[in-house]
Amino acid sequence: MTLEAALGQILSGISLGMVWFLIAAGLSIIFGTLKVLNLAHGSIYMLGGFLCYHVTSSLPQTPWAFWMALIIAPVITAAVGGLIEILLLRRLYGLDMIYQYILTFGLILIIGEVCKLVWGVGYNTVAVPWPFKDTVNLFGLAFPKYNLFLIGMGIAVFVGLRALIGATGLGGIIRAVTHNREIASALGINVPTVYTGVFMLGCWLAGLAGTLMPPMSVVALGADLSVIIDCFIIVVIGGLGSLSGAFLGSVILGLTTAFGLYIIPKLAVAFGFILMIIVLILRPWGLLGEPD
Amino acid sequence: MRNLAKIVTFLTIGCALVAFLCIGPTTATADKKPIKVGFIHSMSGAMSMYGISSEAGAKIAVMEVNKAGGVLGRELKLITRDDKLSAETGLREAKDLVLTEDVDFLMGTISSAVALAVSSYAEKAKKIFIVNIAQSSQITEEKWNPYVFRINTNAVPYWGYAPAIAAAKTWKPKKIISLGFDYECGKNSLAAFKEKYLALVPDAKIIDELWAPLGTTDFTAHISKIANSGADALFLACIYGGGEIAFTKQAYAFGLYDKMKMIQPCAGDVETWSDVKQGDPYPKGALATCRYPFWAIADPKSKAFVEEHKKMVGFYPSYGAMNAYETIYALKKAMEATNSVDSQKLIKALAGMELSTFIGKVLIRSDDHQAMMPNWYGIIAFTPDLPFPHITDVQIIGEEGYHTVEQIKKLRK
Repeated sequence: MTLEAALGQILSGISLGMVWFLIAAGLSIIFGTLKVLNLAHGSIYMLGGFLCYHVTSSLPQTPWAFWMALIIAPVITAAVGGLIEILLLRRLYGLDMIYQYILTFGLILIIGEVCKLVWGVGYNTVAVPWPFKDTVNLFGLAFPKYNLFLIGMGIAVFVGLRALIGATGLGGIIRAVTHNREIASALGINVPTVYTGVFMLGCWLAGLAGTLMPPMSVVALGADLSVIIDCFIIVVIGGLGSLSGAFLGSVILGLTTAFGLYIIPKLAVAFGFILMIIVLILRPWGLLGEPD
Repeated sequence: MRNLAKIVTFLTIGCALVAFLCIGPTTATADKKPIKVGFIHSMSGAMSMYGISSEAGAKIAVMEVNKAGGVLGRELKLITRDDKLSAETGLREAKDLVLTEDVDFLMGTISSAVALAVSSYAEKAKKIFIVNIAQSSQITEEKWNPYVFRINTNAVPYWGYAPAIAAAKTWKPKKIISLGFDYECGKNSLAAFKEKYLALVPDAKIIDELWAPLGTTDFTAHISKIANSGADALFLACIYGGGEIAFTKQAYAFGLYDKMKMIQPCAGDVETWSDVKQGDPYPKGALATCRYPFWAIADPKSKAFVEEHKKMVGFYPSYGAMNAYETIYALKKAMEATNSVDSQKLIKALAGMELSTFIGKVLIRSDDHQAMMPNWYGIIAFTPDLPFPHITDVQIIGEEGYHTVEQIKKLRK
């Protein structure tokens, strides 16, 4: 394996992992605080993709159209998330987990059908935005600038979220609610508002990932379910509820996929699952998770 | 005498009246009763574009035939049903078409699962069923029955043999890497390509096989591996639709189309690229097969068909539309040859029949009832003639793209 090839696999593996991270981070944060495993998280991601397409194609065709979409689409998905939490999810907190699964599974169907009604069943695409259109030469390797941008976004969001949760007053409140909701409530923290806020943050992250994907890929139905499986693998590896775990899990799964293609290409599809099984056997709570 | 004359006149008028009332009208209604074609397709959902396009193709033929006086003096009537891409629904609709609508023939389906369900019902109901899109080779090979015909290509030439022949006739690459969706179609596609290509170019080698889960839209790691694999060509096995668009965008961004020869079986069909404009990523310079390159077909009937289809539904005709159009004409020819709508007689007429279509003469093979629809191939490029990228320098592959009758007989054992 040449240096060029190794670098290509490292970068493409991480770029693959970073989009997953944005989705898995939302899934994990929501679970950490609300103890809700949102099966419809992939649907929010897909909705973000359709909104990206919608905003980009509705605005005048300037280089700014995509960047506007990057601001607008995640805000809309966060708002949708807020509505879901306030109107639906909130009623189920005291009940058995199975009700959450039924509700969020129902949401997969509803969001999928709504996307189908509004945007149809075709394949929509968004052009790669300025200034990331072409490739950059790294030690003889031509690598698309947009993928480097994705890596940068993933790292920036990770650092930003760590700072938000670890070093701000707001983060302190979130941590308090995550740790013990009764005591936090007794101390005067408005727990329902924190829940709504965290759910919206998670949906904002999914929407952000959904918006970043179309320029290098395609907006179409079915994205919801194909991405959620990878994200489940990531949170199992990293530890459900752990932000750093989601980051680590994403990088590991991305690199495993990329290098798996090099080492045993025929089996590359199975590597993610094999990794998940190994982690489940040795450390069922995930690499950076905490045992109950 | 006058009385006798009166009686004779009376009797004559009476007989004439009786004849008119009893025999005349019945034969008249029998003549006017339309010949019904039950059309089952995916008219809603993810694949509905094909259903709508196929229906338009069949409708255009039905309109033309009726305008010219129908078939055997009777009108043709198309009755459309939506199978919703489900074998269960398709089968239910087929039964309903036969039992309540009393259709004479069944045609359609994009889903191979629906086609297989309808085909086994067609055998029980003793109705001819003509497939116009579904690709599974099983329909005419392992799971074939005499009531099933296919006026359409099948997966053997489309996903495997035709691209192999095209690659052998053009570039003859020696080191090939493959990328496919990790499911049955992908595996079959690569197996067929490999078998044919290695027979034609024995010193070639498939150096690596890469697979991605069905539904993958980020192929970055695969492309990076392909770019550094040392292969001189890539064969894309059964990556189509959204997956193909995503792959093409990423491969284009990586400069893969300038770096190696690309063999992209589906890329020639118009539906995937008809919205792509100059400057957008597209399979630049790729060798692609195509099932209806109407821009390269000289027959004015084809040009008129394209215009009529566009007028009817607003977009360019898919290969399914062309197949549906030719299916109606094949039925017409068979009915006129036998002067009948009887399934048994028509099966005999259709098997081995040579169709004169606007894409040329096409034989329906008698052993598998598969029409030898050609696969075309060419290099994808933009030309001033069309607003979207399409195959250029178009060449044709006929029966050599299909399994031979001997191969099929082995498969049926």
